[in-house]
Amino acid sequence: MTTKAIERRAIHGTGKQYWRRLGNEVRRDKWLYFLLLPGLIYFIVFKYLPMFGIVIAFENYVPFSGVLGSEWVGLKWFNSFFRFPAWLTYLKNTLILSLMNIVFFFPAPIILALLLNEMRKLRYKKLLQTFLYVPHFISIVIVVSITFVMFGPSGIVYKATQNLLGHAINYMGSPDTFRWMIIGQTIWKETGWGTIIFLAALTNVDTQLYEAAMVDGAGRLRRLWHITLPAIRSTIVLMLILRMGSMLDTGYDHLILMANPLNRSASQTLDVFVYQQGIQQGQFSYASAIGLMKSIVSVTLVLGSNKIAHLLGEQGLY
Amino acid sequence: MKKLVSVLLALLLALGMMSFASADEPLVVTVLLPEFTMDVDFVAENNPILDAIEEATGVRLQITWAPNENYGDILNTTMADKDLPMLIAATDARSPLIMNSARAGAFWDLTDYVSDAENYPNLALGDSQIYNNISVDGRVYGIYRTRNYPRGGAYYRSDIAKEVGFDKEVKTLDDLTELAEALAKYSDDTYALNICSYTAGTISFITVAYGAPNNWGVDENGNIYPAHLSPAYLEGLNWLRHLYEIGGIDPNFAQISTNDWNDIERTNKAFMRFDCLDNAYRQQEWFENNVEGVTETIFAQVGPLAKADGSITIWPQNPGFSGEILVTKSVKAEDMEKVMKFLDWCNSDAGISMLNLGVENVTYWMGDDGYRIDISKLPEEEYNEKSNAGKQFLHDLNQLNMGVSYHAVEPAMKLSESRQRFADLNVELAPYAVLDPCYPLVSQTNIDYGAQLSPIISDAAVQYIAGIIDEAGLRAAWADWAAQGGDAMTQEYNEAYHAAQQ
Repeated sequence: MTTKAIERRAIHGTGKQYWRRLGNEVRRDKWLYFLLLPGLIYFIVFKYLPMFGIVIAFENYVPFSGVLGSEWVGLKWFNSFFRFPAWLTYLKNTLILSLMNIVFFFPAPIILALLLNEMRKLRYKKLLQTFLYVPHFISIVIVVSITFVMFGPSGIVYKATQNLLGHAINYMGSPDTFRWMIIGQTIWKETGWGTIIFLAALTNVDTQLYEAAMVDGAGRLRRLWHITLPAIRSTIVLMLILRMGSMLDTGYDHLILMANPLNRSASQTLDVFVYQQGIQQGQFSYASAIGLMKSIVSVTLVLGSNKIAHLLGEQGLY
Repeated sequence: MKKLVSVLLALLLALGMMSFASADEPLVVTVLLPEFTMDVDFVAENNPILDAIEEATGVRLQITWAPNENYGDILNTTMADKDLPMLIAATDARSPLIMNSARAGAFWDLTDYVSDAENYPNLALGDSQIYNNISVDGRVYGIYRTRNYPRGGAYYRSDIAKEVGFDKEVKTLDDLTELAEALAKYSDDTYALNICSYTAGTISFITVAYGAPNNWGVDENGNIYPAHLSPAYLEGLNWLRHLYEIGGIDPNFAQISTNDWNDIERTNKAFMRFDCLDNAYRQQEWFENNVEGVTETIFAQVGPLAKADGSITIWPQNPGFSGEILVTKSVKAEDMEKVMKFLDWCNSDAGISMLNLGVENVTYWMGDDGYRIDISKLPEEEYNEKSNAGKQFLHDLNQLNMGVSYHAVEPAMKLSESRQRFADLNVELAPYAVLDPCYPLVSQTNIDYGAQLSPIISDAAVQYIAGIIDEAGLRAAWADWAAQGGDAMTQEYNEAYHAAQQ
């Protein structure tokens, strides 16, 4: 028996005991549990019941025949995907985008939150925060349009770099720049919004620690390094684990909006594949199978990184 | 149990009486159609056109409009719903979802109806070759929507051509090259050819003109091969590449949205285009209405183009139809006759006029000369009022028009020079149209990875035209296509083609 299980038994008791105690607790705090009901119902109806629809990944699903009436094809769609010679390219594109996202986008809100935290004038800070949240509420369609206007062949940035470097950089029409543009747009749009959770964590830092450090002669950077960062470390780890869960998610709308014949090769990711098969081709089963595969990988990544966090002595997700 | 049975029987009886009592009520038919007119909402209540259709056929149409830009997506998600509209306009008759749904029994089998000349005379006038093209496993599930095939063509600004010293009729490919080179020289900020991110039409036009097949060809041994393996395909691409090199094409064409396509011509940025020819008279009319001093025809439509050896091949732009109208199982068996009679009426003289023009003095008006009035020539206020009526009541009802009887839309408008030229060219170009032999055939690879494979060819063509890759790069992309499933697709099409030939 593992130590964890022993611990659990010590707290909850064994089998029957456990259920009896739970029953007593429910009876005692019935109104509290009553408050839990709407949430529970929501999860059952909207999250758990639809999960049974996943069986269409193993069927040749035709909407007219329904989930129960469609032909069972087993692993056909999974085979189909791996027989497609370019599937590795799709995986590669997905992973490159995801890694770039983690390396370049993930730290951005942390850095910004730390900068905001150092601001002295409270009113100015609040105003600045409000402005930083705005891009999050702008639709990605608008963001892409703005990018086209600025970085497109007649845009100001395009012209400026052309004059500065003597040759043009085709920002919108090359697979090499495609990923940087995507990451850039993501940083522009989501960094401000991402600071919220870190700023919340920062408010929990005991101000007495700073005072003590100041008395000891610690400068700004020292305080940042020895007090602020350790204080939000667990939040950072938590966010990183959650990010791992969406490692294979690149979204498709952003990529499809940015793709054109010149840069399409970099835009082909698993999510785009699911969109092409599911919505454009109407192959719901095929798309579900790829989606299911992605989900399994995601769950594995979350569990794995949580485990690593535990090993490193962090609290992790749970 | 007995009680339950008797309750059910009573219910059935009540239902039966209800339907008996409502014998005079019109049959409500739900329809899903693509919508192009976005600026004015469709009026469903007290709509004189729907009233007239109801009077003529006893069918009351209840239409759901879906924006044309993402009609395919909407159609696919609609098909995921159990409660289908009774009639559906499928813009792509060969989509896997439509074919699978047909096999699963989502649609009524219309094979016997379309050959029943006695009861459905108009439907039986349809082209059996095209009915065959849209069939699934030999059964017909829809009525195709007729299009003139030779709609694909070239048109150019004849006034600009004259200015740069080109003043003759374009009759051969060499003439076209000469014209393009002349237009390219017009000015530094203008281009000869108007081309945007939708490059498929432009590329198909020029490669087929040089003698390449339309998507797929049949070689001398009777085997299917992909169009890009024909030497003429490369000749066509070289034509565009050459024009690009001499500055005749906007270097950023691949990033130009299709929404800006018309504006490029309207702002005099480019003077020639390979596209649906009907766009030529639309642009002509736009210039007449919006640019001072334009009275003559300035958009010249190019006729058949002879190759060096004198032969002529034309890209037809479509396979003679554009999608189909499907009858779903939401139509009850006892209503089938009525619904099919309705579809037959839609293909009659009266039906075709109704769906295209509407009702006289509501959505179209007759002049003293016996021709239908061209409302775009009326003073602005009157034009706005009249075009508004059309948008409100007729809206895009012509999307339901099938026209398999090939009756003309009557009463006709007095054709402008430009429209007359278009009508004449349709007849003149028809014999040279090159059709895609694989259109009715099914390839599993195409269904599984077609959406991923086809951009390999089309993107490589664009990169070749723009000088980003050379011929070796182009051939590498073709090899890539073949390795990733192109060869399998070719083989599957060959098997299907030979099976169909027997």
